[in-house]
Amino acid sequence: MNIFKALQNGVAITSKPLFRLMSNLPKAAEEGELDKLYKIVELELKGHDPAVLKSFVKFATTAGNHLDIKSTTWDLRKPIHDRRSVLKSVHIYKKHQVQYETRTYFSFIQYKHVTGSTADTLLEYVERNLPEGVALKATKVELQALPEHLKSP
Amino acid sequence: MSLVQIRNISLLSLKPQFSISRLLHTSSACQKSQSGRYRITAKRDFPLTYEMANPPHQIAHRKTWNSWNTSNLEGGLRSSETAIEDMFIRKFVTGTWHALFVSEIIIKRQHNIIRVAGIIRRSIGARKIYFLIGYTEELLSFWLQCPVKLELQTVADRSDVIFKYI
Repeated sequence: MNIFKALQNGVAITSKPLFRLMSNLPKAAEEGELDKLYKIVELELKGHDPAVLKSFVKFATTAGNHLDIKSTTWDLRKPIHDRRSVLKSVHIYKKHQVQYETRTYFSFIQYKHVTGSTADTLLEYVERNLPEGVALKATKVELQALPEHLKSP
Repeated sequence: MSLVQIRNISLLSLKPQFSISRLLHTSSACQKSQSGRYRITAKRDFPLTYEMANPPHQIAHRKTWNSWNTSNLEGGLRSSETAIEDMFIRKFVTGTWHALFVSEIIIKRQHNIIRVAGIIRRSIGARKIYFLIGYTEELLSFWLQCPVKLELQTVADRSDVIFKYI
């Protein structure tokens, strides 16, 4: 209906897709602005359960593969075991204590050569599907042209 | 003089030969683990769910945790506030749903949303259950200032979740 009305009034129809208007993605990349280029988009995942992390890494890399983005993954960082000793009894008995520990496991995913809008979309999708108990830190390394004052004449 | 020495002397000097003396055995404090473990009853009719039947050292082997959040990871924020909120949610939900929960209450936090899950028994009608769901979600999201979603499974009878009798 909108299209017919617009044609009758002779108004130009904007070709922005509807989902972009409704989503939280940044409203950039108008006609003149160029998309940013990212050399690396690195995701650092932290969790208590290595099986959950492994499964989520598989999910994120498959999502990247569907968008034709190559990715590498590794989990070489040693897990951190945070241990505390606590007295077992409410009153005295110092010799009897209990040890509790909190383990943090790490996992890394790196996507290479991504454009700005693709990176935004992929990060949004991956962040929305983060399981509970998993923390994510995203680092983006951008490629920029040399500024004017540093270029050779 | 220790208790045993006194007993030996009294046996030799004072007691007649045919009497039986009572003994007392003491040891140093043992501090055995007794948390989360249930004593076997004489009649063997105390019901245990799967969660109750597995003692705490089976967590991460046969059991998982009841609270899932990122507050206790390396660099995690708000761990104490999250723990207190979890305690409040559990007390509130158990009290509002009078004797209806037959499992532990699982609390999962994803971004801003808190998901509360559990198994209830179908002793009250569907309309009342829908009212309770809306009431719980509304009040909890007002108190905790974030969206709260209830994810409940129902079971006909309490005996459906019993794993063994002890």
